[in-house]
Amino acid sequence: MTLLDTPRKHGDASDGGAIGARLSRLDGKLKITGAATYALEQPVDGLAYAVLVPATIGAGRVARIDVAAAKAAPGVRLILTPDDDLGLQPATDWNNVRASDGPYVPLPRDIAYNGQPVALVVADSLEQATEAARRLAIAYEEGPVTPGLDSPNAGEGSPLDQLSVAWGDAEAALAAAPVRVEAEYHTPREYHAAMEPHGLIARWEGDRLTVWEPSQWTHSMARSYAEWFGLPPENVRLVSPFVGGGFGSKGFSYGFGAIAAAAARRLGRPVKLAVTRPQNFAAYGGRAATRQSLALGATEDGVLQAIVLRGASETSTVGTWVEQVGAATPLMYAVPNFSARQRLVAVNTVTPGALRAPGKTPSAFAIESAIDELACAVGADPLEIRLRNYAEEDPQARKPWSTRRMREALAEGAEAFGWARRSREPRSMRDGHQLIGWGLATGTFPVIRNYGEALVRILADGSAEVVTGATDIGQGTYTILAQTAAEALGIPFERIDVRLGDSALPGAPVAGGSKLAGVMTGAVQKAAIAARDELIALALNDPNSPFRDTGANTLILADGRISAPRGDGPVVSVGELLGRIGRERIEVRRDTLPDHLQTPEGRFRAWTTMTTVQGPTAGDYSMHSWCAHFVEVRVDEDFGTIRVARMVSAFDCGRLYNPKLAESQWKGGIIMGIGMALLEEGLVDSRNGRVINNNLGDYLLPTNADVPDIRVIDVGIPDPHASALGGKGVGEVGIVGVAPAIANAVFHATGRRVRRLPITLDALV
Amino acid sequence: MSSPRTIRFTLNGEPVSATIMPHETLVDVLQHRFDLRGARESCGQGLCGCCTVHVDGKPVSGCLFLAVFADGARVDTVEGLARGDALDPVQEAFIEAGAFQCGFCTPGFVMMVKQLLKEHPEPTDEEVRHYLTGNLCRCSAYPEILDAVKLASARQAEAARRA
Amino acid sequence: MKAFTYQRAGSAEDAARLAAHPGAMLLAGGTTLLDLAKCGVAEPDMLVDIGHISGLDAIAVDAGGATIGALAKMSAVADHAGMRAAFPAVAESLSQAASAQLRNMATIGGNLLQRTRCPYFRDPAAFPACNKRDPGSGCAAIGGVTRNHAVLGTSEACIATYPGDLAVALVAFDAAVRLGGRTIAVEEFFLVPGDTPAREHAIGPGEMITAVAIPASPAARRSTFLKVRDRQSYEFAAASAAVGLELGPDGRTIRDLRVALGGVATVPWRCRAVEDALKGTLLEPESVRAASRLAVEGAVAQADNAHKIDLAPRLVARAILSLGGLA
Repeated sequence: MTLLDTPRKHGDASDGGAIGARLSRLDGKLKITGAATYALEQPVDGLAYAVLVPATIGAGRVARIDVAAAKAAPGVRLILTPDDDLGLQPATDWNNVRASDGPYVPLPRDIAYNGQPVALVVADSLEQATEAARRLAIAYEEGPVTPGLDSPNAGEGSPLDQLSVAWGDAEAALAAAPVRVEAEYHTPREYHAAMEPHGLIARWEGDRLTVWEPSQWTHSMARSYAEWFGLPPENVRLVSPFVGGGFGSKGFSYGFGAIAAAAARRLGRPVKLAVTRPQNFAAYGGRAATRQSLALGATEDGVLQAIVLRGASETSTVGTWVEQVGAATPLMYAVPNFSARQRLVAVNTVTPGALRAPGKTPSAFAIESAIDELACAVGADPLEIRLRNYAEEDPQARKPWSTRRMREALAEGAEAFGWARRSREPRSMRDGHQLIGWGLATGTFPVIRNYGEALVRILADGSAEVVTGATDIGQGTYTILAQTAAEALGIPFERIDVRLGDSALPGAPVAGGSKLAGVMTGAVQKAAIAARDELIALALNDPNSPFRDTGANTLILADGRISAPRGDGPVVSVGELLGRIGRERIEVRRDTLPDHLQTPEGRFRAWTTMTTVQGPTAGDYSMHSWCAHFVEVRVDEDFGTIRVARMVSAFDCGRLYNPKLAESQWKGGIIMGIGMALLEEGLVDSRNGRVINNNLGDYLLPTNADVPDIRVIDVGIPDPHASALGGKGVGEVGIVGVAPAIANAVFHATGRRVRRLPITLDALV
Repeated sequence: MSSPRTIRFTLNGEPVSATIMPHETLVDVLQHRFDLRGARESCGQGLCGCCTVHVDGKPVSGCLFLAVFADGARVDTVEGLARGDALDPVQEAFIEAGAFQCGFCTPGFVMMVKQLLKEHPEPTDEEVRHYLTGNLCRCSAYPEILDAVKLASARQAEAARRA
Repeated sequence: MKAFTYQRAGSAEDAARLAAHPGAMLLAGGTTLLDLAKCGVAEPDMLVDIGHISGLDAIAVDAGGATIGALAKMSAVADHAGMRAAFPAVAESLSQAASAQLRNMATIGGNLLQRTRCPYFRDPAAFPACNKRDPGSGCAAIGGVTRNHAVLGTSEACIATYPGDLAVALVAFDAAVRLGGRTIAVEEFFLVPGDTPAREHAIGPGEMITAVAIPASPAARRSTFLKVRDRQSYEFAAASAAVGLELGPDGRTIRDLRVALGGVATVPWRCRAVEDALKGTLLEPESVRAASRLAVEGAVAQADNAHKIDLAPRLVARAILSLGGLA
C-alpha cells in the first residue's frame, strides 16, 4: 500500500455531518442583491463630512497652517490642525501595554512620513470639505528624508535580538559545506488594497460613542476609542456587520479614526470620514519591505548542513512593526546548523502592518527560492530535494508535528500537475515565442489558538440564532458558525441565523492569524451543546412535555425535531416543544476561556489584546498548516512578459468546516501571491518619500485576465490538537510560497534567477 | 455658483426624479437619494467596476458618470434584478458557485456579467476573463466568478432550449 | 472634486461660445475630466457638455476610408464591423484599452485628448513642479520614479508619456483630425513637449474635435495593434505598436509598411525610419529585426526606463513578422 492509498478521513460532510458540507454563504443573498450595508453606507441622520489632509513632505514639521481662507469657505463647520489639543489619551496596544508618557496626538506637528494627516476639515457636504481643504495654507519645515529600506541613508538599523534563532554552529558548517548557495532576496512594500476603502462614521450621544467602521476586531477597536476619550469600555460601540475585505488592515483603530471621532464630539454632530483611495496608501501601513541575505550549505547530494539568514525589514520612525523574515525559514527543512538574525530599519513611512501571512510570505520567498537554487546547484529535482531534507519534527522547537502532510501535498500536487514530465534544464520547454517554466515551492502558516464567546438562542418558532462580536471579512464566519450550530443543535442550517460584527455582542478575537474559525466554531459548539442539553433537560422534566413519562434518559435532536432514542415515542418539533412547555426561548452564553481568565480583567484582556494567544508550539506539538504550489509560467522570449498559465496547489489545513469556502480562501491567497510575484510594489519617490502609485490604476492588482486555472487539493486530516473541531487555519497559508514558486518557474523558463519582487518584464527583457 | 438641477430618469423600471448638483455622480445620487447601495465607489477612477450600473442597457462606471448624464435615460442597478424573492439567474449562479467573499465588488460583477451574457450567451473562458477586466476583486474570487458565468450561461441556454 | 456649473451645448457653435467663459472646459464622456477633477489636476468652474450635439457620433466606412464622429463611443468603434475589416489595428487599439465600462462611456474625441498618466502630473499637492500643469514650474518626474516615462520625444521640460492607444493606430495610417472647418494630420495634431509641454495639441481657441478621418489603404487593412504591459489587461502600455503591412504580388516584397509606437514617447510616434528601411525589400526576419531597431533612434533613457528602448523594436519586429506570417 502506498501513501496515496491510505484511507483518509477529512472530517468533512463525506464522513457525515453538517460541518464540512459545501454549503453556500449564509450572507450570500444580502451581498448579491446590494442589500448588505457596509460601514460607510450606514444611514445616519445629520451627518457632517470630513476630509483628511495629508502631509506632502516626507519628514520635518508643520511650521504653520493658515486656516482663515478654509474657514471662510461655504459650509465649513470645523477644522482641526496640530494647533488643536484634542485631549486624547493613549490606547492600550495588542500586548496590553498602555503608554503613560502624555497624551495621544494623532495630528502631531512633527512629520514622520509623506501622507501623515496634518489636518481634518469638516463641512456640510463632502465637496465643501474638499474645497475648503484645498484652501488650507500649510507651511512646512522640511527635514532629511529616508525614503526606504535600501536608501543609502537608511543605515543598517538595529538588531532584533529577541528574533535571533540559532542551533548548532551554522557559520562553521556553512564554511565547511561542499556546496553553498548564497544570495540576497528583496520584497517591496505591498498594500492591502481592499475594495472597501477605510473610513468611519462617528456619532456621539452624550458620552456614548457609536462608531461604524470596517473591522476585523470589534472589541479591540472599541477599546481603543474608549481609552482615547477616557470612557468606560461599555460606552463605545463599534459596529461592523459587513467588511469589504481586510487582509490584516482592519484589525486596529488608526489615527484618522481618533481625529474624526474627536471632530464629531466637538461638533456635537455625527461625522463621516471616507479615507480616499490615495490616502489608503498612507493612512495605515501595508507590508514592510524586506531584504534577506540567505546562505545554504549542503552536501553534494543536496542534504542541508547549514542555513544562515541575515535579514532586515523596515519600520517607521514613530512605531515598531517587525515583518519577521525568519518566520518560515527554520520550519521548512531538517538542518543540523541554523542561524537567523534580523535588523529593523526605521525609515520615513507610515508604520507598516499585518498583510496576509505577515513574515511567512517574504520569509518563504527567500528560503523557497534558495532551496530551488540548491537543487540546481547539485543537479537535483526541486521536489526530490525537498524530500531529501524533509523535517520529520519541528527543527527549531524539537517537538513533533501535530499533523504535517507535506509529503502528501507534494505527492498529490505533483501527480495532478504532471511534474514527472518536467525537463530538468532551464529554457528547455517552449511553445512558439513562449518559454515555458515549471516551478514548485511550499508554504506554511502557524496554528494560533485563542478563546471566544458565543450566545446561542433556540427560538419559539424552532429556529436558532448565533450571536457573537466576531467579524466576517469575507472568509465565511456567518456560514461556518451556522453550520456548527446546526450540527450541535440538530436544527437545519437554513433555520439558523447569525449576528456578528458588533462590540456589544459576546467576545471574540481578531479575524486574523487564520484562527477565528477554529476559535469560534469551538465557542459556538460549546454554547450550542449547552443549549441543546438545556432543551433536552426541559423536555425530560417539564410537566407539560410529551417526553416526561417516556422513561427516556436522553433525547435526540435531528432535523429540528426531538424524539426518544429508541424511536417508538413521540416526535415533536423544537418549536412545538417550546410551546408546550411555555418557553419563549432557550438562551445560553458560553466561552472557552480557561479558569485563570474567568475574571472581568481576564475576559477583557482576552477579547481586546493578543496576550491570551497561544502560539504553534505552546503545547506538546508544533502545529502548522502546510501547502505545496506547482506553477507553469509562460514567458515571452522577446518581451519578458510573464503569464501564469496554470497552478496546482495542495493543502494540509486539517479539517475543513466548509470546503467551498476554504477552497475560495486558498485560491484568493494564491491569486494575491500572483500579484505579489508579478505586479505589486509601492513605488516611493526617493526625494520626498511619497508613494507615487497610490491608486488602483498604478498599484496593480491581479485582474480576471491574470488568473489561470487553479486547482486546489485537500490533503488534510482532522488535527485534534489544533482546534476543538480539528481545523487548522486556511486564510493565510495560500499566499505563502506562491511568489517563490513563480520565481522558480521563471528561472526554469528563462535561466534568469530573479530575487527581487515583483518580477516584471524589465528584469527579463 | 453651481446650482441644483432636476433630472428625470427611469430607475429599475420606475420613473423617478431627483434634484442634484452638477458635480454629483450617478453613484452618489443612487446611494444618497435612492438608498441604493449596491453600486459603490472604490477606486474612484472607473477601473475597479464596483460602481457598475447600466445606463440605457450599457454598463458604465457610475463613479465617473455625472448624474446629469442620466437625465432622460434608463438606469438599472443590481437592486432591480431580483423579482420579489426570486433572484436573477446570474445572482443565483454567483451564490452557488461561491463567486464572492467580502461582497463589496459583487454587485458590479453581477451587472457586468448580465451584459456579458447578453453579448456572448456562451462565452469562452478567455472571453469571460477579458470582458471582466474592468472589475477588481481583491478577495480574488475570480475562478469562482468564471464558474458562475459558465453556470449562468448553461442555465440560460437550457432555459432557451426548453422555451 | 470641487463644485462646478454645467451647461449643455446644443451645437458646435454653442459649445465654442460657452467654452470661451473663463474656467470652462468641454465635457463629452467625462471619463478623463472627472478623473482629473478628482485628483485635483482639472479645476473647472463650468463644464460644457457637448454630448448632446447631434450628428457627431456617426461611424462611416467606405472604400475611401472611415470617418468617425468625435462623439462616437470607443465601444461602438471597436465593435464596428467595417472598422474591424478595414482598420483592424484601430479597432484592436480600442478594444485593448481601458475597460468595457469606460469604453461604453468614453468618446473618440475625448480619447485622443486624454492626459498623461505621469504620477507627478497627477499629484499636484505633493509635486507642485510640473511644466504641463504650471508652465515654468519644473519637472518633478525627472529624477523621480521613471519606469513608465517616455524615451522618445522628451525634453528637459517634460518626459511624460502620451498614454493613448487609438492615436498610435491613427498616426500609423495617416489619419486626420477635423476641428470643425479645419483638418489637420494626427501626426501634426500632437505636439512634442519641447519648451511648452502645457501645449499638447494644435487645437486653437474655440475649436473642438468634430471627427477623425482615416484613409483606406491595403496596409491599414492588414494591420495589427500589439500592446505589452505587466498586467494582462487594463493597464497603460509599457510599449505598444500599430503596424500595417502591404506585400507585393510575390507575397514577399514589402510594398507598404506603417509603424507607430505608443507607451514610449511623449506623442504617438510614427517610425518612418523603419518604414523607409524596409519598403521595397524582401520580408525576412533578420532584416526586419535590424530595421526595427531604427524605431528608437534618438531615444533617451531615464533612470528606470531603459528597458523600453529594448522592448519597442522587438514589438515592432514581432508585429511586422506576424502580419507577414513569419512569427
